Amino acid sequence: MQSARDPLRFAPAAVLLLASAGLGVALATSGVRDVPESEIDTRPVQVGSDGYVSSDTCKACHPSEYDSWFGSFHRTMTQVATPETVRADFDGVRVENTHGQPMLLERDGDKFWAEFDDPGWEGPEADRPRITRQVVMITGSHHQNIYWYETGHDRGLNVLPSVYLIKEQRWASRSAVVLHPPQQSLAMLNGHWNAICIVCHTTQGKTAFDTPYRSEAFELQAIDTTVAEFGIACESCHGPAEAHIAANQNPLRRYSLHLGGDDDPTIVQPSLLDPQRSSQVCGQCHSVWEFYDAEDERQANWAGLPYRPGDELRDTRFIAQPSVDRSSPEIRTLANDDPEFVRGSFWPDGMVRVSGREYNGLIDSPCFRDATEPEHTLTCFSCHTLHKTAEDPRPVSEWADTHQVSTGMAGNDACLQCHEPMRDDVTVHTRHLAESSGSNCYNCHMPYTSYGLLKTERSHTISSPTATETVELGRPNACNLCHLDRTVGWTADHLHDWYDTPVPELGGANRTVAAALLWILSGDAGLRALTAQSMGWAPAQEASGTSWMVPHLGEALGDRYDAVRFIAARSLRSLPGYADLAYDFDGPEQERVDVAVQVLSAWRASPASRQRREPELLVDADGDLRVDAMRRLFDQRTRRPLFLRE
Amino acid sequence: MARDTYPAVDYVRRHLRVGWWSLLGFLILGFVLEVLHGFKTGLYLDVSNETRRLMWTLAHAHGALLGLVHVLYALCLRLLPGVAAGSQRLVSSSLIGASVLLPGGFFLGGVGFYAGDPGLGILAAPVGATLLIIAVYLIARAAASPDSRPEPPGGEGRRGKKR
Repeated sequence: MQSARDPLRFAPAAVLLLASAGLGVALATSGVRDVPESEIDTRPVQVGSDGYVSSDTCKACHPSEYDSWFGSFHRTMTQVATPETVRADFDGVRVENTHGQPMLLERDGDKFWAEFDDPGWEGPEADRPRITRQVVMITGSHHQNIYWYETGHDRGLNVLPSVYLIKEQRWASRSAVVLHPPQQSLAMLNGHWNAICIVCHTTQGKTAFDTPYRSEAFELQAIDTTVAEFGIACESCHGPAEAHIAANQNPLRRYSLHLGGDDDPTIVQPSLLDPQRSSQVCGQCHSVWEFYDAEDERQANWAGLPYRPGDELRDTRFIAQPSVDRSSPEIRTLANDDPEFVRGSFWPDGMVRVSGREYNGLIDSPCFRDATEPEHTLTCFSCHTLHKTAEDPRPVSEWADTHQVSTGMAGNDACLQCHEPMRDDVTVHTRHLAESSGSNCYNCHMPYTSYGLLKTERSHTISSPTATETVELGRPNACNLCHLDRTVGWTADHLHDWYDTPVPELGGANRTVAAALLWILSGDAGLRALTAQSMGWAPAQEASGTSWMVPHLGEALGDRYDAVRFIAARSLRSLPGYADLAYDFDGPEQERVDVAVQVLSAWRASPASRQRREPELLVDADGDLRVDAMRRLFDQRTRRPLFLRE
Repeated sequence: MARDTYPAVDYVRRHLRVGWWSLLGFLILGFVLEVLHGFKTGLYLDVSNETRRLMWTLAHAHGALLGLVHVLYALCLRLLPGVAAGSQRLVSSSLIGASVLLPGGFFLGGVGFYAGDPGLGILAAPVGATLLIIAVYLIARAAASPDSRPEPPGGEGRRGKKR
């Protein structure tokens, strides 16, 4: 037994203390120390302010909601470049698909470097210098990684001249990934992230330019851009949570709310708002909007956007809706600044034609616009959920990858929520087999007429197909987006027979040439992109056959618009025998032409070319392509440049 | 009970019995939790059930450790006579109460819960924790008293017999 004066009596405690201290020192000195945001002055940083407390604070009490948000592409819309977030290989890579000389990429530990032609050079092209910059931020994580480098001027960012396509695992020059006139140079994007992207790709961003963006040379402006959080985080939709956190530190309050079933007034629940306000939460980003005036923009520059979930969105910004306000002063102002503004975002009747602006589609939908009962009003939450439910068996990654559509809402249940009487026999209405894609409500009433990110999206405007929209507006109708091999006249006759839809005056080749061929040969670049995508769409391939598509997709491999070529190649690879097609939509022009010629020659020599000998498909009775007719239609092609503001 | 009296055998046996059975019960709970892990059972592992997972893990850990505390206490009754003195009934009852309420509260708190907040069963946990603190305090106080010191090896114990 040790006495009270035993000198070793404190030995165990001392050993424990020393071991703890040693462990602490080891942990503190091991690995790479993250630089605190407050010490970073070369890129935008995250700063808690205005009652925003960040998503980390939400996790403890809302683990499930946090988890599904964490797995969503909303969170990763903007990320700091780290080994975990950068999807492209930077390890000594040479990127040929770029503007100017090849871009050279290097990785140095956790840092990513790129050497490329100086985009700001204004001297002779031959003298354009090379610059090496550190990549610090990323936009996008689902389809594309767009990399931003620090300019060295305050927190200003600029974009790399190439974009990484995630699914294709390849680089493409920046101009090639947007539907953009081929001869038109892209704008210099110095400070573009700070001024533009920040608005919808972060939470409570403050651009903080000392003078309005582009009002003077970038290098002369002071830029102190901050955000509450990178990416679209909890508080983007629920509002700043500081008061909510403070109030709910009291367990009695929390349990009072749990047991009473009352809503918590300290935070906004978008799904509990009325249909208009709840959809506006999504509409704050998923819409075509602009500031009402320069003063509003100046205020937002320093204080962030004033809109908070639950507010009336139109009190704080102008939502462009050309279907009803084409002649408004705001639209006229926008059109004065950018004459192609309306055409670049909307079809002639005002229906939105670019993706990511689904709120514009919603507010033009009769199911929203004309609804009188909240419970029977279409909202974003009728079909989508921002948090995967516990009952949803899909993994979070699958839920996120399929547009966060709610369980069961990918099919007709979405519409039958209100149109219940049709449930018993949908075919009476659809005139298509029950299990066919023609009996899918979405395919007829929300077809793929929007474009963005090198693919098409559903319109998000609930509409009924007509031949008129095609003939008068130039928009593909839902019927011919599936029945690509049929004429617009065929569609008009069926719609008239089945639904008494008026038949428009059908001039030109609308009764003699398949709609898809009219569109891909004569349509504008946007229409060609939609058509090329439909040719790769399984329901359309099943309804229309595929053998006749090859020469037309092959011809589109030589399209002047990069985006059309990209989509055409993707659709061509979905056809039997073309999966391994070697073709670079962003490669040298001669190579592209050579591949197109090879595709056409191979098709002509194959039995497939003689499967469909129909004049509507521009194939004569001998199985030969009617090149003269194709040429005539090609000559009628719209030459007006098109830049879709996706 | 007088301070110098030999600790009642039933307390030693009671806490040995409670301790070992408790240990067995909560080790079985631990085994069940491992099985839930093994079969990736959603009701335990899904993120939406994170609160349940935490509560049941706490129930397992506290229950098993409290089982050991009972065994330790029973041994103390023999080794440290002073511990047996005074508030023995209160200590015993408090320890047993803590063994029921603390892990039980955690377990019930995980059966039904509200997102990040455990169910109302969790209210039993702080009551159990209070009982445990009371018991441990009383044991610690008794262990620190001069009466609690065991006799040196070979000496006569206060109970008049060699140990």
